[in-house]
Amino acid sequence: MIQAVNSELDLTMSRLIKAPRAAVWRAWTDPRSFEQWWIPAPAKCKVLHMDLNPGGAFVTLMSEGGGAFQPHLNACFLAVEEGERIVFTNALTGGWRPAEQPFMTAIIRLHDHPQGTEYAAHVMHKSNADRNMHDELGFQDGWGTVAAQLARLVEKPA
Amino acid sequence: MEQYSAQLDGIFQALADPTRRAVLGRLGKGPASIGELAKPFDMALPSFMKHIHFLEDSGLIRTRKAGRVRTCAIRKRPFAAIETWLSAQRALWEARTDRLEQFVTAVRDKGQAR
Repeated sequence: MIQAVNSELDLTMSRLIKAPRAAVWRAWTDPRSFEQWWIPAPAKCKVLHMDLNPGGAFVTLMSEGGGAFQPHLNACFLAVEEGERIVFTNALTGGWRPAEQPFMTAIIRLHDHPQGTEYAAHVMHKSNADRNMHDELGFQDGWGTVAAQLARLVEKPA
Repeated sequence: MEQYSAQLDGIFQALADPTRRAVLGRLGKGPASIGELAKPFDMALPSFMKHIHFLEDSGLIRTRKAGRVRTCAIRKRPFAAIETWLSAQRALWEARTDRLEQFVTAVRDKGQAR
């Protein structure tokens, strides 16, 4: 299936990772491994559910500053092709139940490359108007929102 | 795309430090001399100048010397790159992929060392 890219709402990125495709797949699909890179340190990530089947729940929690674990991502896998592709959305939660605050679908693709693995992400967003809802991710992952807030601060007229 | 990503990397590194963020916050109110910017910090001038150079190299500020006084000012353009919500999302996914890459290659190196 080919997804058209909407440059206003989508982002696409790809990266050459110098490791075999199986290793990248494992880092993504083994919950203990996934927890170690999904969220930037020192915040901690905990995978509550990672049911790698269409309709399977994908639920993560995060803890900042040693505090209690809070909801982070509550999503649903749409497609999982062993070693090749993962599609998930937070428009649905586990078991295809409609979500309260949908904003994105992500397609992760892994391809063999002579030097390792080509890792590609295509993230489709509902609309820019949803940015406040997206603070869930943006805020907790730090950089994006912090930088945007700082940009607003420094660009404020004196 | 890569150029864009490299630009963001520089910006985010520049913003990763509290002194540099404070300097940017001050410059948001208008241009200032190095002496004035350095005042709130308990820091030797050469150390402070490293932060100024970092900000200048990342394109976030520009400096101009008039006589013996060097004045710093915000450059607006780089902020446009991180201002939009979508570029914030891009930064988030790029950073996430950096961490995945580091994780996978670190695990691999450990495995090979055995």
